[in-house]
Amino acid sequence: MLLPLVLLVPLGFVVTHIAQTGEAGTGPMGLAIVYLLLMLGAHAVLVAAGHRGDPLLLPLVATIGAIGLIMLNRLAPDLEETAAFGLDFTVAETQLLWFAVGVGAMLGVALGFRNDGLLRHYKYTWAIAGALLLVVTFLFGREVNGARLWIYLGPIGFQPGEFLKIVLVVFIAAYLAEKRTLLRDASARIGPIRIPPLPYLLPMLAIFVIVMLVVIFGKDLGTALLFFGIFLTMLFVATGRRSYVLIGLLLFLAGSFVAYRLFDHVARRVDAWIDPFADPSGVGYQTVQSLYAFGRGGLFGEGLGQGLLPTAGGRFFGVETDFIFAVTAEELGLIGAFALLALAVALIFRGLRVAMLARDDFSAMLAVGLTTSLGLQTLIIVAGVLKLIPLTGITFPFVSYGGSSLLASFLVVGLLLSISHRSALAAEREARPT
Amino acid sequence: MTGEILRILLLILQLSFLALLYLVLFGFARSLLRDLRSAEQAQIASQAGIGRLAVLESPEDEPPAGHAIALGPINSLGRNVNNTIYVEDDFVSANHAMLTFRGRSWFIEDQGSTNGTYVNGHRIDRAVALSFGDELTVGRVRMRLER
Amino acid sequence: MIATNIRRLAVYLLLAFAATSGGLSWWQVVDASTLAARQDNPEVIAARRSALRGTIFDANGQVLASSQVIDGISRRTYTDAAFSHIIGYASLRFGTTGVERAWDDLLTGRSDPNPLRDLVNDILARQPPPTDLTLTIDRRLQDYAAAQLGTDVGVVVALDPRSGAILAMTSTPTFDPTPISGDPATAAGPMEQIGAQPNNPLVDRARQGRYTPGSIMKVLTASAALDSGAMTPETTFPDQPREETEGFVVEGFRVLEHDLSPVTPALWPFSPALQVSSNIFFAHVGVELGSERFLDYAKRFGFCEPLVIGPSDRGLSVSPSYVTAVAEDGGCAPFADTAEVAQAAFGQGRVNVTPVQMALLAATVANDGITPAPYVVRDVRAHADDPAAGPSERVLTTYRAEGSRRAIGSGAAAQVRAAMVDAVHGELGRLYAGAGDVTRYGVSGVSTAGKTGTAERGPDLPPHSWYIGFVPAQAGGTPAIAVAVIVEGGGSGSGRAAPIGGAVMAEWLKILAAG
Repeated sequence: MLLPLVLLVPLGFVVTHIAQTGEAGTGPMGLAIVYLLLMLGAHAVLVAAGHRGDPLLLPLVATIGAIGLIMLNRLAPDLEETAAFGLDFTVAETQLLWFAVGVGAMLGVALGFRNDGLLRHYKYTWAIAGALLLVVTFLFGREVNGARLWIYLGPIGFQPGEFLKIVLVVFIAAYLAEKRTLLRDASARIGPIRIPPLPYLLPMLAIFVIVMLVVIFGKDLGTALLFFGIFLTMLFVATGRRSYVLIGLLLFLAGSFVAYRLFDHVARRVDAWIDPFADPSGVGYQTVQSLYAFGRGGLFGEGLGQGLLPTAGGRFFGVETDFIFAVTAEELGLIGAFALLALAVALIFRGLRVAMLARDDFSAMLAVGLTTSLGLQTLIIVAGVLKLIPLTGITFPFVSYGGSSLLASFLVVGLLLSISHRSALAAEREARPT
Repeated sequence: MTGEILRILLLILQLSFLALLYLVLFGFARSLLRDLRSAEQAQIASQAGIGRLAVLESPEDEPPAGHAIALGPINSLGRNVNNTIYVEDDFVSANHAMLTFRGRSWFIEDQGSTNGTYVNGHRIDRAVALSFGDELTVGRVRMRLER
Repeated sequence: MIATNIRRLAVYLLLAFAATSGGLSWWQVVDASTLAARQDNPEVIAARRSALRGTIFDANGQVLASSQVIDGISRRTYTDAAFSHIIGYASLRFGTTGVERAWDDLLTGRSDPNPLRDLVNDILARQPPPTDLTLTIDRRLQDYAAAQLGTDVGVVVALDPRSGAILAMTSTPTFDPTPISGDPATAAGPMEQIGAQPNNPLVDRARQGRYTPGSIMKVLTASAALDSGAMTPETTFPDQPREETEGFVVEGFRVLEHDLSPVTPALWPFSPALQVSSNIFFAHVGVELGSERFLDYAKRFGFCEPLVIGPSDRGLSVSPSYVTAVAEDGGCAPFADTAEVAQAAFGQGRVNVTPVQMALLAATVANDGITPAPYVVRDVRAHADDPAAGPSERVLTTYRAEGSRRAIGSGAAAQVRAAMVDAVHGELGRLYAGAGDVTRYGVSGVSTAGKTGTAERGPDLPPHSWYIGFVPAQAGGTPAIAVAVIVEGGGSGSGRAAPIGGAVMAEWLKILAAG
């Protein structure tokens, strides 16, 4: 499954180069080669180590990442380079570096995590660590583009929120797996609606509070939405009760409404969502230009390297992060954008399959949570640039530029591989006659 | 390379890129489908396997009544979620019984449960051989061993 | 069971992604053309800035607007100010108007007139070359009409009554669009200068100007009354001679006749009444017709809704003409009372019309009662590299307007036509509309149908001078041109508008005869 990539990635680089320079040539092919070696190497390592995990996860990630790398390479000439260690790195190069780090982390987790006891039994420790991380970010974080999410250690900035995501999933998975058997049917009723019992309700409210804090102090709507969404999804899978999800959604809507009335930055985002054309050069600018980009893309796209979005208004902000999907759709058309979405869906389904085959509740819940984090993240950002929901500053996993996001996503995949490996081992053990 | 030739080349390459992308996508789709189909086949195969447990009565609906559970060679029954056959019932112990296929027969053995394991209405106190059609009862859940 | 819930989750996620795909398809395919037409779309801006724009030719291949790319900026040059309003301008600084705007995507080459080729271009991401347009307007006639208007503020609209092709459409005062369509850096000054001139030269009075029509409205009243049977050519109103001097009282409102001298009032049937333009007669006709039928017929002629020149997807809009007050939805409110109908019947009261609508009124009578659908672009051609050498032979698409509709029966049309011929040639008529007779301008053997209008605007304002007509109007003849002329504040219809109308129609016949 990885083999077609060997053709795809170089092809993408060549097309971009010709389109951008008007000459025959290959562009920075070195990047493509390094990427392919990285992915093929990772695959080889897994095979050599006798890994039994899901065989499609890595190829899917590699394909999605490949599209991301091709797009970043395409954007590189239009964007600034990062200076570090005395050298200048283009966005594509930086991303590739993070790819390498990410793959390493993924392999480490996939192969090294023999026993998930560390996760399962210390859930409260994880929860406290996560809360501390959040507090630290609020207190010491630097506000970047309206969201206080970043912590800088020297020249390297990273977003703790990305890793908090994983910690949150671990905690909720452990908590729900434990409580699930004890509380299957106990729920209070208020009128015709089922209210979750206290052990469910308390964490729900706690997380709701955390989420609202993130919105208010962190000024990040996207992460808040993501956290809450992950929690509700995991709650649904654990209990099967749609009413709990409904209550959670209502809570969230109520909270959002209050936030809309009280807080300016929330109000601005929502107004820009409702009618961006009312203020096309002000609040609605990004959404409007994004929609234009989609329109220009049409069915087959304008061609790699020939889109107008990156240079709209001089330099379009966020084109390598939030709007990378818009550029992809503009240049590869509906056909290309749909393919990317389909690949993301395939990855999600694969993750859910890992969850279904898991041997115990905790692993299953963990897999569900991790998969949902990737899936919801993709959904939120795509829906945002399409004006289906308000725009939020969330990254498209494996595609958007961003080291923390990439690393966290690879950790997620690593954990999924680890879970599926253990499930497969257990299945093999059972099939062996005694 | 003249401009015109280059333009045509670019066009061909761009379309090839999209085509290749879709080839990859279809490759994944095919693998996914194959997986589904083999999972189905595994279901069917297991039904032609060494035996099934048809669930006749199950007040808590876990395992679901009316369904047949495919059996492996070794199956543990009990209220703990880590059992092969998870039974949700207050009168079932955490590790209630073991159902194993040895040689050419099925054997049921109680694991020291509080309320006992019943075969065709009789409580057992040691490993007992089963035939197809025999009824097993643990707690309030009644099942039948089938081919 | 967790597995079941996971399966359910999978379904929900799939639905969410399906919805997202739907949204994607919406913006990329379904709504794409709307997005592409918006003026602040970077693609539109970029295309317009540096892309060569197609040439606009007149009906005979004369260059009216052409572009050259100098220093990477596409600069447009206009050769004839008489066309400034209908063609509009394509300014990088001030946007596009008129034909330049409606046909922007073809002129810049953003889309292809052939929808199949357009799709292929989309697939191949190919930028089609710009295309040229040929108008239906002949420059000779347009210039002649503008010259006739001279320094007066007014409009001449002329069209072919059978095909709907616009033959001339000019509005004065006009302006030179070239300085504002060149380098955007130097366009602001000329635009300010144009704005500072009196009488708003930027306004296209032919399409947006709304005026009280006065007596030319009687043509519509008569058409409606004859077609509906409210009147015949022999109908008379016994009280009419007396009311000529005393006035005709309708619901407390006294309709007065205009100054008829040297003619003495008598009992007139339709034709003489039209020749002298009797307000009393037509007020009676209006009352006979009644408010419902009047409104109904007005709508059949195109009143109460915006009109469109050209194919509907690339149309130039024309303001609606009204016979009553404007309703909330932009249409005509019902008549308030019979007095209002009586006034509307002779073109006063709340009636206000655009010159285009009046030209269509004349064209309908000329065309056996069918209102033609006007259009101004004749065809789209491949871009000619050297505009001065004429348009390319390769015609890509030819346009015909769609949507002509019958307003009145051919019998009624013939009766109105005969009366309009009398209005120009008849004993009484020629005292008023004789100036509109084409035989006075060097054309012989042809009958002219015409009607003048002197639209009262109030005690201190000079009335508008109106004339509508068509030739050849003799029974059995085939009308070639219908005109509507208005000179703002020009006094009586016979004073300014009729001579202009006659001269313009005569000029067209001469052009046609010369081949």
